[in-house]
Amino acid sequence: MPVDKYANMEEKLWILEDLNMMYIRQIALSLQDSDIQKKIDHEIRMRDGACKLLAACSQRDQALEAAKSLQTCSTRIMAYMSELQRMKEAQVMQKVTRRSSDAGPMDDRLPCKGKVAISDLRIPLMWKDTEYFKNKGELHRCAVFCLLQLGGEIFDTDMVIVDRTLTDICFDNTIVFNEASPGFELRVELYSCCSEDDYSAGSTPRKLASKLSSSLGRSAGKKLRAAMEPGPCSPVSNGGAAPLLLPVPSVAGPKYHLLAHTTVSLSHVQDSFRTHDLTISGNEECSYWLPLYGSMCCRLAAQPHCMTQQMMSGCLKVKQCGGDLQSWSNVYAVLKGTSLFCYHRQEDVEANIEPAFTIGINKETRIRASEKDPHSKVQNICISNQYGGEEVTHTLTTDSREDTHRWMEAFWQHFYDMSQWKQCCDDLMKIELPSPRKPAPVTPKQGSLYHEMVIESSDDLSSTVSDILARRMQELELRSHLGTSPTWMSVFEENSTKGAGRPRHCTSRLSGHSPCTPHRLPRSPVSPHRCPQLGVLSSDTSLTSDSDSHCSTSPCSHHHIWPEPSSNFSLLSSSPSRLRPRTLSLDAKLSTLRGRGYGGGGGGTFQCSCQPSSSLLAPLPISSRSPLSQRSTQTTLSCSSSTSSSSSSNSEGSHSPESSEGIPFSRPSPARRSLRNLRARLDPRNWLQSQV
Amino acid sequence: MSFVPGQPVIAVVERIEIKKLRHGDNLILGFSIGGGIDQDPGQNPFSEDKTDKGIYVTRISQGGPADEAGLKMGDKIMQVNGWDMTVVTHDEARKKLTKKKEDVVRLLVTRKTLEEAVKHSKGKYPRP
Repeated sequence: MPVDKYANMEEKLWILEDLNMMYIRQIALSLQDSDIQKKIDHEIRMRDGACKLLAACSQRDQALEAAKSLQTCSTRIMAYMSELQRMKEAQVMQKVTRRSSDAGPMDDRLPCKGKVAISDLRIPLMWKDTEYFKNKGELHRCAVFCLLQLGGEIFDTDMVIVDRTLTDICFDNTIVFNEASPGFELRVELYSCCSEDDYSAGSTPRKLASKLSSSLGRSAGKKLRAAMEPGPCSPVSNGGAAPLLLPVPSVAGPKYHLLAHTTVSLSHVQDSFRTHDLTISGNEECSYWLPLYGSMCCRLAAQPHCMTQQMMSGCLKVKQCGGDLQSWSNVYAVLKGTSLFCYHRQEDVEANIEPAFTIGINKETRIRASEKDPHSKVQNICISNQYGGEEVTHTLTTDSREDTHRWMEAFWQHFYDMSQWKQCCDDLMKIELPSPRKPAPVTPKQGSLYHEMVIESSDDLSSTVSDILARRMQELELRSHLGTSPTWMSVFEENSTKGAGRPRHCTSRLSGHSPCTPHRLPRSPVSPHRCPQLGVLSSDTSLTSDSDSHCSTSPCSHHHIWPEPSSNFSLLSSSPSRLRPRTLSLDAKLSTLRGRGYGGGGGGTFQCSCQPSSSLLAPLPISSRSPLSQRSTQTTLSCSSSTSSSSSSNSEGSHSPESSEGIPFSRPSPARRSLRNLRARLDPRNWLQSQV
Repeated sequence: MSFVPGQPVIAVVERIEIKKLRHGDNLILGFSIGGGIDQDPGQNPFSEDKTDKGIYVTRISQGGPADEAGLKMGDKIMQVNGWDMTVVTHDEARKKLTKKKEDVVRLLVTRKTLEEAVKHSKGKYPRP
């Protein structure tokens, strides 16, 4: 029965793991290196903890985090184990070679170590445009993180959830490796895990094998993969040359897979951002696939210790040649970075007082020992630099031959370091130390460029408005010859006429307002969404306005109940900063339809589909729907559409706030205020509304 | 008025029949809706329970078909022509209302005043 076979296999794996542990401990003991052993024990405990957490947690993101820790711990364990192996090997080899050869040449210098920091990792993605614009299905999300390995140190970045709204994967962490040699290789691995997996407990041996081979480090993985081709899960043990097989306990839960990797080294170190190529593993069929652009940007900086620490210090006597100065001065000299700082006294160093003078020590400096001074029997050290075209030489001397020797040694070491660390020694690169963990600020979801571009079509509003007004003036002037000028025209005439023509009961209101209106009207709205919906009055009589409440919110305390067809004109609406909305809304259309059937209505130009200027101002979060034919009348921003009377301001967007008040306006004033609140709350930007 | 999962929803409803008005190629009802399970219920100014994700009437066009049929602003729509409206997305709701082949929509709507009216009539409240 297959189930039994797998159960057996798992048992065997567990046994193997225990054996491995014993073996590791033995090696560690024999090396008498308790340090690594402690680290391994620690990581194993962490890993067990992560496994338990993974089994216990129910939340998806908890599970992802736990799986990430599991991955990191496993990688660290492998790294420690390989290091142990190497140390064991080295020990064995040493015992062998010590007998055969004597100590090598003294010139076996080791360059100084340094700090290497990698920060601001950014991996661009390359989504197909179909994914962006047409794909309405659920977002395919992946959780990704990076593992960075240098020497024996492995660090992981924070986990980032990636979906098609992101254009780049950004990791904000700064990772600092403290003891790196100049020949370092920093391996960056990107792991990803599909975020919609269901946890399938139990895996076939083949799956386990492939997962193992993909979750181990580079060299280990290669060897294991090679070894595991013939038979999955057979332990690889060839005399300890290959690292041990440490089966990852098969836990139910999300599993990360290696998506891409790259290695950077000293040649990539620079004080600015650079792009590196990624090697991508996996293909489109994998669940954890993300369309990577193929490169990675980061800032890789290095601070060798020779630049940051004092390499040598002591008392010297310095004489500057090449000038007239021929006297010796006693100084306390400190060799650090690219200079030899000479202080008057030793205390000055701590006190941060400026050094007396500084001798540059860089790649162009030449140092040599001069002949023995006849009376002091000590060799002098000559340091020559080129300043401009001139060569300036300083001569140093010490009290004893050992001191001279030590200083020479220090200089040679320094030169060697600089030659090894190359460009890092030109100037001190800044490394920002990652600040102690502060709680991650609640950042808004990493927006993508595409979704956050609001199309501001309101820039030309003012011109359109004046156009519209001008046109309407003309239109109405014509009408006024027929004696049917709409009452609100009087407002434009600066209170001179009290309404040429009809509803006279309006004029009293008008007059109250007319002084204000002229300068209110031309002002263009402040916010893009409040576009002036200058509804057009197509029909002569029906000065229907969209919102009755405008009347109600007028400063004038009058409150007339306007009979239906005429007059609910909303000329002067509440907020002074907005243009009077004057749309011929659905209400108007309905009333005219009712009142006079179709043909009527003067400009009966009910062009429903007028200029669907499809600059759908509806901000994207709202517009998830495709415009239906029903909505062909959805002309936005009646600015343009308002002239053509139809302006069926079906644009839910900006319109509904104004026209939301189909409420009977025969309400007492306290209700007026609540209406205003209501209108504010019915803002479609916050809460979607549709007209049916 | 929002639902408790597992418990039946009880509401006093009014039946409202709206005849759509044909306007050119379109059939209009004359009101606007808001809400839906994909919308933020906290923004609904009409709902009593701010977790209610139902469909509410947000405005009525004066003189429109909905107005004449008696629909009021703030009503919660429970059913449209037999289709449930209490657990639908905003778009689904809109589609159910704007089917081109249907000239008439029969809504079941509820509002607070209905409940109170029933309570009054049952004598629970002291008569004025």
